[in-house]
Amino acid sequence: MSAPLLAVENVGRRFGGFVALDGVTAQFEPNKVTSIIGPNGAGKSTFFNVLSGVLTPSTGSIRFKGQNLTGTRQHKFVHLGIARSYQITNIFPELSAHENVRVAAQAARSRYNIWRNRSHFPELGERADAALDSVGLGGKHNETAKFLAHGQQRALEIAIALVSDPEVLLLDEPTAGMGPEETKDMVALLEKLARDRTILLVEHKMKMILGLSDRILVLHHGRLIADGSPRDIQADPDVRRVYLGQNDGYA
Amino acid sequence: MDAELILIQLFSGVALGAILVITALGLSIIFGMLGVVNFAHGALFMIGAYAGLWVASLTGSFWWGLLVAPIMIGVFGMAIEWLLVRPLYGRSVDDPLLLTFGLSYVLVEAVRIVFGNDGIPFPTPSQLTGVANLGIGYFPIYRLFVIVVVAVVLLLLWLALEKTKFGLIVRAGSRDPTIMRVLGVNISKVWLLVFGVGVGLAALGGVLAGPMRTVNPEMGSLVLIEAFVVTVIGGLGSLLGSVVAGLLVGVAISMTALFAPEMGTIVMFALMALVLLVRPRGLFGKAA
Amino acid sequence: MERDMTVKSIPLAATSSGARKATDLAAALTNWRVLLSIAALCLLPWVLPSKALAVNVLVYGVLAMGYNLLFGYTGLLSFGHAAFFGAGAYITGIAIGQFGVPWYGAVLLGIIGGGLLALAIGALSIRTRGIYFSMVTLALAQLVYHVALQASSWTGGENGLRGFTVAKIDIAGFSINFLDPVSKYYVLMVFAALALWFVSRILNSPFGAAIEAIRENETRARTCGYDVERTKLISFVLSGLICALAGTMSALHLAFVPLDVLHYQTSGMIVMMTLLGGASSFFGPFVGALAFLLMEDVFSLWTSHWQIIVGSIFILFVLFLPKGIWGTFLARVVR
Repeated sequence: MSAPLLAVENVGRRFGGFVALDGVTAQFEPNKVTSIIGPNGAGKSTFFNVLSGVLTPSTGSIRFKGQNLTGTRQHKFVHLGIARSYQITNIFPELSAHENVRVAAQAARSRYNIWRNRSHFPELGERADAALDSVGLGGKHNETAKFLAHGQQRALEIAIALVSDPEVLLLDEPTAGMGPEETKDMVALLEKLARDRTILLVEHKMKMILGLSDRILVLHHGRLIADGSPRDIQADPDVRRVYLGQNDGYA
Repeated sequence: MDAELILIQLFSGVALGAILVITALGLSIIFGMLGVVNFAHGALFMIGAYAGLWVASLTGSFWWGLLVAPIMIGVFGMAIEWLLVRPLYGRSVDDPLLLTFGLSYVLVEAVRIVFGNDGIPFPTPSQLTGVANLGIGYFPIYRLFVIVVVAVVLLLLWLALEKTKFGLIVRAGSRDPTIMRVLGVNISKVWLLVFGVGVGLAALGGVLAGPMRTVNPEMGSLVLIEAFVVTVIGGLGSLLGSVVAGLLVGVAISMTALFAPEMGTIVMFALMALVLLVRPRGLFGKAA
Repeated sequence: MERDMTVKSIPLAATSSGARKATDLAAALTNWRVLLSIAALCLLPWVLPSKALAVNVLVYGVLAMGYNLLFGYTGLLSFGHAAFFGAGAYITGIAIGQFGVPWYGAVLLGIIGGGLLALAIGALSIRTRGIYFSMVTLALAQLVYHVALQASSWTGGENGLRGFTVAKIDIAGFSINFLDPVSKYYVLMVFAALALWFVSRILNSPFGAAIEAIRENETRARTCGYDVERTKLISFVLSGLICALAGTMSALHLAFVPLDVLHYQTSGMIVMMTLLGGASSFFGPFVGALAFLLMEDVFSLWTSHWQIIVGSIFILFVLFLPKGIWGTFLARVVR
């Protein structure tokens, strides 16, 4: 069994009196797909926000490759190798698809360079194009992002996260708002990505989760109530009671 | 420097602070509920002073001016919200600030056209002239009156916010306007009223300030800065913050005046810079 | 922060329905924008009714352009940029008048001084979020005004700063009569050209892409790995440097620095000019400066209350023409 790439220990987060996360402990191994499920308000978004540095945990710690990341400023996470996408599409609306991804690729270096022309860094453009191709947006490089179809924008979300070549990808409901066909395409993409990256997924589509995941974490009221393989989770009585009755019927 | 002088100066600071509080409160209420920074707030303060003067000269009574002017200008504020601010809803969050900035230009110039450039003295009403012996020293009755009026208005506001259904809507809405929509509250009516109340408070501040300074078209520009500073120190959208910060700034300016009168305004800015360094969201502001 | 503005500095950001011709025109305008702008400005003194107006367009155009780097391109609405304009002007005037520094040294000092002030004000104001930023920049700039008012032995206080007339500019053996309006214009034109070139370079650089990303979606930019606060601060300082340059130009031109140059009315005027011309377009600030100054000239002939007309026009622009004159023109013609 390989050493955990990413580990959270007793992580909690409160907002005033409200406890959003309560003592979550888990380890994530390389190149596995872990899905995080739970009813609305279970703390999935908060968990993601803590893992990606948007929020600092009130208690507990996060370790990545042995290094303690608790309290690290958010923008450093992607440089360390943890990238995320958002549930509500969060792109650069007036820029083209290519520029959306290119500017993300640029963030690692040369970002304070006020002197040279951007064209002096062709490798950034090439990486952007490669990322766009890999998510299936090959023909849409010059489209203004806000004019893309919803499914294409979700793909762009992922391309932006992907271009930094992260070891860990946090994907927050990548199939949000997608119909069955688009979801199938997204699942195929995720399977391809999972071959050489660690993926953490928040999703609601049960069939998709059961088919795709190596492991499933179940959150409820901020606590981790189950952690195991899809089969373990399906058999777990707590989970059945809390969540599996709410199958939304998709894919 | 004896204790009596300091106490009197402290009291003076509270009176000055009272005006700041009522003006900054109006600004804060408008921001808290509508998310709009009303750059015309200082101009409306000034117009309140002129309106008070005008009504007082028409009716021969300061009291009518005090009562009618804030209501008049408050209604004017509602018109502003409905005609100019509301069309900007959904656009960039800076647009209302830009628009109200342009509006302040227009309002100040309009007052210059109607009333001329020179200052007009605002006579203190006869019932309020003179000084009262407070035991620790003599204090102008008018300034005592200002403190009392502001305290009463604060109390009424607090009661309205805490005890009435409308107040509940305002408090809840300032946390999440979307929820209010979803719950079926007629948010446009609420906005209208809140903007009107906020502007009315500024106008009230203007009328109260009138007898303490000359009424002139420029009197709003420093007030605007002061209201901004108070709001930054107190915390944007926090009503308690406006009150505490307003009093703090008033007292600070007043006490500085004992040693170095010209430094008063600079001390106010220094306080703000200090707060920004130590606690950028303001004393009572919500966390980022 | 969302702005409903077309980003004209990135040729690739074409709309899906644009005709090839229009895209080519957009690209051409962008690639040649510095030279085209300089050409337009060279013609200006011969097209406008007065040389003094032309010089003012240069000065305020550079000022608005410096401001636009922060406002139009980074998306930060500062209401305190008069501080850097004034700092540049005062430092130049004091250096020449009280220390006998030659004009080029004074200009350099003015620019550096403005930049340092921008670093200080920027560091304090960028800690604040959203709309707070506008209020804080306003208040801090007003602090500078009050300090200048009090420090009258340096600044001349209410009466402004005088006594530093520059009559001749000596470069490489040539002596230019700076008091001649045409010579003055073309000397200041060199300053303006440098500013135009500098801003264009910044916009074309990776940093230029970074600030636009921040304007488009600050949270996303942060998630992508940009240190948003540091990037904003750098943009703030660059903007302050250019506005300070405009200040030195103004000081050299008038041989006088009025105290009002530091008042928030001036900051407001900068905002108005930028918006009127078209924020987030390269040449828009110059168009805006020209429009504002022309309106002031023309309307003040009719009435001393010209501000009410300009203010009303500004309100109409905010409501109906947020792209400004040049921005709307570009969007229509070059779509």
